[in-house]
Amino acid sequence: MISQRLWTLLLVALVVLLFGVGLFSGPADLSWSEQSSALLTGEGVAGTILWRLRLPRLFMAVLSGSALAMSGLLMQTYFRNALAGPSVLGVTSGATLGVALVSLGGWAVGLTWGWTSAVVGALLGAWGVMVLLGTVVSWFRSRTALLIFGLMVGYLTGAMVTVLQAGAEAQALQAFVVWGMGSFGQSTWSGVGVLALLFAWASFWTFRMTAVLDMWTLGRLTARSMGVNEKQLTWGVLGATGALAGLVTAWCGPIAFLGLATPHLVRIVLPKARHRGLLVPVMLTGSALALVSDLAVRFAGIPLNAVLSMMGAPVVLWLLLKKRSNQANH
Amino acid sequence: MEGRLDIKGLQLIRPQKGNGALSFSLDAGAAVVVVGRNGVGKSTLLQTLAGLLPARQGSVRWNGEDVHRMSPEARAGYAALVTSTPPRSSAMTVADVMELGLRAGGRISGPAQVQTAMDTAGIAQWSGLSLNALSDGMAQRVMMARAAAQGEGMLLLDEPTAFLDVVGRRDMLHQMGEWRSAGRILWLATHDLEGAEAAGWVTHWLHLETGTDTVGTLYPGPFVAEVARAALMRQ
Repeated sequence: MISQRLWTLLLVALVVLLFGVGLFSGPADLSWSEQSSALLTGEGVAGTILWRLRLPRLFMAVLSGSALAMSGLLMQTYFRNALAGPSVLGVTSGATLGVALVSLGGWAVGLTWGWTSAVVGALLGAWGVMVLLGTVVSWFRSRTALLIFGLMVGYLTGAMVTVLQAGAEAQALQAFVVWGMGSFGQSTWSGVGVLALLFAWASFWTFRMTAVLDMWTLGRLTARSMGVNEKQLTWGVLGATGALAGLVTAWCGPIAFLGLATPHLVRIVLPKARHRGLLVPVMLTGSALALVSDLAVRFAGIPLNAVLSMMGAPVVLWLLLKKRSNQANH
Repeated sequence: MEGRLDIKGLQLIRPQKGNGALSFSLDAGAAVVVVGRNGVGKSTLLQTLAGLLPARQGSVRWNGEDVHRMSPEARAGYAALVTSTPPRSSAMTVADVMELGLRAGGRISGPAQVQTAMDTAGIAQWSGLSLNALSDGMAQRVMMARAAAQGEGMLLLDEPTAFLDVVGRRDMLHQMGEWRSAGRILWLATHDLEGAEAAGWVTHWLHLETGTDTVGTLYPGPFVAEVARAALMRQ
């Protein structure tokens, strides 16, 4: 218990530190006193940089990291599959198709306050895949089948996106390709606000479900015999993860690996934590990873998804190797 | 706890062939061994009695209340099911599983209650071990202890000894007898006829078969493996 609390505190400190580094450093040549007064007043060039560019970007990174990491944890528990995550099961692909239909296919409609057509398209795309997953989930008792499902959804939506790309104008195409590399740089306060509201609701729901999620790890039939309402759990998990992954994808692009890898990193440190103890460290680790990657993006100029893939792919390979040695031990 | 199970005109949703119905009543303290060939519906019957699967026809009532109309929480307190394959987890410890069992049964618990439940079941020495660190037999004993901590009315054991060695089977069958005397109705679906006979606590046995008018016949105990085998071969 003590080590769980200690880790949580350390992670909070890390997130605050990274947030501070991100807030007070950047290409613009600003002095400390300039920045600290601009942070309070919001005036001048420095005020604009801090309040319009850096703060929304940092909050978006914190929220997206948490949201994706929590989605990954929920999906890994729900599907009992260590390799599950929003980007693996086709949710991100669905959201990408939604965005492509709007930005390349020209299916745009006028909306306000962060609810741009791209956001709506991403949400509908993510939920579309989630409804599909929820409907056919009983066919996927085999873990491999579920992953292949995600892969195939990815191929199908990828094909449709390619068709849209082939017919798109050069400018829209370029914007779409850049969006696809992932970035927290396009964040606005309204986007942060919408994601924060949804994230608050989803994490409240998840906190209430921690015991149910624990029961679910004991097997579907056992969990049902223990009073778990399977329908409620299924649609709760699919609805929350679809909404979170969809929104994050709309604003930051299809972000890879964060949802998949974060829960495993936390489990290395807290191997015996139950969901109640895992949830906050997983969220904080997701935020920290997103902030670190964003710093790498800003200072090394590497696209976000390249950074995350370089960090995430080794984790997945390590997981596969670990699984092998576990089987050998049995 | 006093309890009475009334099964009336019950037809299972699987297998589709059998069209006869089950009708009988049992009082707390009954211990029923369910025998039948593979695919005859033993698991379906146990899950239907637990309220986890709907009935095609008829009703299952616990103290007069239709189990298929109970809320999931109420159902968990009335009956607990143990499957043949114990779950595996590197994160969940034995104490965690027991805590969840008590919680599922509506007895929100502190550490002291968990400890008592583990002592009662004789598994306290494994308290801090994860499920992955246990052998199949140990893990299955933990799952049975969890069921006993959860279900006040009925325990439904679906071939719980299928993957256990000789000693594990004997210990587990012995322990089931203790639960029966705690005033529950115990259901055991098994292919281990000799084990059930040696257990000595069986009060009824139910022979399930398909393709005839009767899907099941309830016989009074004691359970004799030779008699059951003859009934199974007759089909």
